[in-house]
Amino acid sequence: MTALFALTVANIKSYVRDRAALFWTLAFPLIFIFMFGFIFQGGGGSELNLGWVDADGTPASTQLRDAFTASGAVKLVETSEDDALAQMRNGKVDSIIVVQKGYGATVAAGAAGTGGAPAAITVYTDPSRSNLTASVYQVVGSVLGVVNLGGRPPIVVPEAKTIQTENLNFISYFVPSMLGLSVMQVGIFAAIPLVADREKLILKRLAATPLRRWQLVGSNVLMRLLIALVQAVIIVGVGVLAFGVHITGSLPLVVGFVALGSMAFLALGYVVASFAGTEDSANGMTSVIQFPMMFLSGTFFPIDQMPDVLRTIARIIPLTYLSDALRQVMVGGAAFAPLWLCAVVLVGWLVACFGVAAVKFRWQ
Amino acid sequence: MTVAIGGSPVIRVRGLTKRYGDVQAVAGVDFDVAPREIFGLLGPNGAGKTTTVEILEGLRAPDGGEVSVLGVDVSRGADALKPRIGVSLQTAALYPKLTVTEVIDLFRSFYARSRPAAELIEALDLGERRNAQTRVLSGGQRQRLAVALALVNDPELVFLDEPTTGLDPAARRSLWDLVLGLKASGRTVLLTTHYMEEAEVLCDRLAIMDHGRILEMGTVDELISKRFHERAVRFDRLEELSVDELQALPEVVSVKADAREVLLYTRDVAATIGALLDLTEQRGLEPKNLAIRRATLEDVFLDLTGRALRD
Repeated sequence: MTALFALTVANIKSYVRDRAALFWTLAFPLIFIFMFGFIFQGGGGSELNLGWVDADGTPASTQLRDAFTASGAVKLVETSEDDALAQMRNGKVDSIIVVQKGYGATVAAGAAGTGGAPAAITVYTDPSRSNLTASVYQVVGSVLGVVNLGGRPPIVVPEAKTIQTENLNFISYFVPSMLGLSVMQVGIFAAIPLVADREKLILKRLAATPLRRWQLVGSNVLMRLLIALVQAVIIVGVGVLAFGVHITGSLPLVVGFVALGSMAFLALGYVVASFAGTEDSANGMTSVIQFPMMFLSGTFFPIDQMPDVLRTIARIIPLTYLSDALRQVMVGGAAFAPLWLCAVVLVGWLVACFGVAAVKFRWQ
Repeated sequence: MTVAIGGSPVIRVRGLTKRYGDVQAVAGVDFDVAPREIFGLLGPNGAGKTTTVEILEGLRAPDGGEVSVLGVDVSRGADALKPRIGVSLQTAALYPKLTVTEVIDLFRSFYARSRPAAELIEALDLGERRNAQTRVLSGGQRQRLAVALALVNDPELVFLDEPTTGLDPAARRSLWDLVLGLKASGRTVLLTTHYMEEAEVLCDRLAIMDHGRILEMGTVDELISKRFHERAVRFDRLEELSVDELQALPEVVSVKADAREVLLYTRDVAATIGALLDLTEQRGLEPKNLAIRRATLEDVFLDLTGRALRD
């Protein structure tokens, strides 16, 4: 046990002191997130798209519509309630305001001081898009403030309703995908130092000591798990703090998938190390494996829009399932495959790669 | 420290063979190493020294033959052997980003029983570099660290594979002192080298290897006197003098000549040199760097293989 931990600590020290490795694992995903985050955030001043459903059709409701238009902060899309909900689900509008039938009459009664309850307008938002929800209520609040003329009790009040949109905003989709990508890299990249250690005869030197092979592999697993978890904390932290990504799911499940993914990709790293004779060829092989995975796993391009051949590949590669699982668990993303299937596929890859490496890996 | 009793060998090798594809790396090797002995395998690169040593260390499986180390049959009990031996490999690039102390402590964690890191650092004169990362060490310091790691578990038997290759003369001498110190502290050492001088200085006994075979084995004196009762007269090669002419000089037993130098092995140095000087004077020549010396291991190797043993 002391040997296992001493070797793990030694590996971590070597890793942390290697600035290039540190950059690739920690800074690289962050650069990606910030880059895409700022591009798709589109700088806070952009308009909100509001679905506008007028079930009342009175001068009062038209006046309210004009008040929203006059605020300059929103672009209204007038339509029916069903259509508006459909549009919101697939991301065409950010929120919906429904003016219920009878609004005009209630407002008129309220203004005359003879009404009971104030008139309500229904506001649909998606709680997983917390930034957007805040912006919507800010606009609604300021418009209703004008309409109510500071009167107490207020004449019009918002009534909150939430729906789950399928189409996450880009950054919410991107953060878990980026975490999946990083976990993949931490695992596969293990091949490079492993092959280097073999080339430099470090593995042979260790073989001349009483150290067991399981201790060597175990220290590698521990170290990579730790790196993956640190990465997860950094990536998720930046997503939440800098881009307001709302984490909806269970944290233990996130950790579980990060750990399972790390092990599966580490096993794949050992497969690479089994076939790569030199550090350079290990470098090449990791690139050959990671780039197609990066682009075919649905991180940058949606899997539904891929041609059949690529979609078939996307259905096989482990990163598709890891990223999919992380999106489902973290931000309630639409499922490509059910969670249990994601777990099964990752375990399958882990077992298969471990089997290949167990047979093919050469220590010297 | 348990040492084999009554001089029974620490290492016993019989009929050892190992083949890599078409290359017969070790082609039937037999030798014994006695307790507290420094035993050397001497030969050029590719002679099969490293393969032989790695089989003894339990790092490679032999194709055939019997190998027993510290009374353990290596092909069955390598795991039992590893805590008792110390190993320094030919190329010792170890964890470039760790410091000297960290690497030593790491290796200490592999053994149930180990010497304190401070003691090893002191013994191998690495005190000034204890907090330096191993990648910035000089070649000599790196070799000393490799030896320190071989001594971490206070082993009975130490394997040193080409311990001084690539070192400058001063670093080489300091490492020699170290190896002699190992013997003085009661350890048995098996080392490989392709330096004649190193073998002459360090080894109690040695085996000359070439093409996977042991050509000759014994103490340095035995190896030399078995072949050369004569002394050698050497001088820089003179193209004008043929080997036949030199062979015909009085008392000359044999002649070795290459592009650089000529060696005349003679039973009577005075007679041979007198005749040589007469001959050269007649021709208006002058033998440069004329010297008389005893035969060396180099001569033995040259005689055994027909070629010089150089880097």
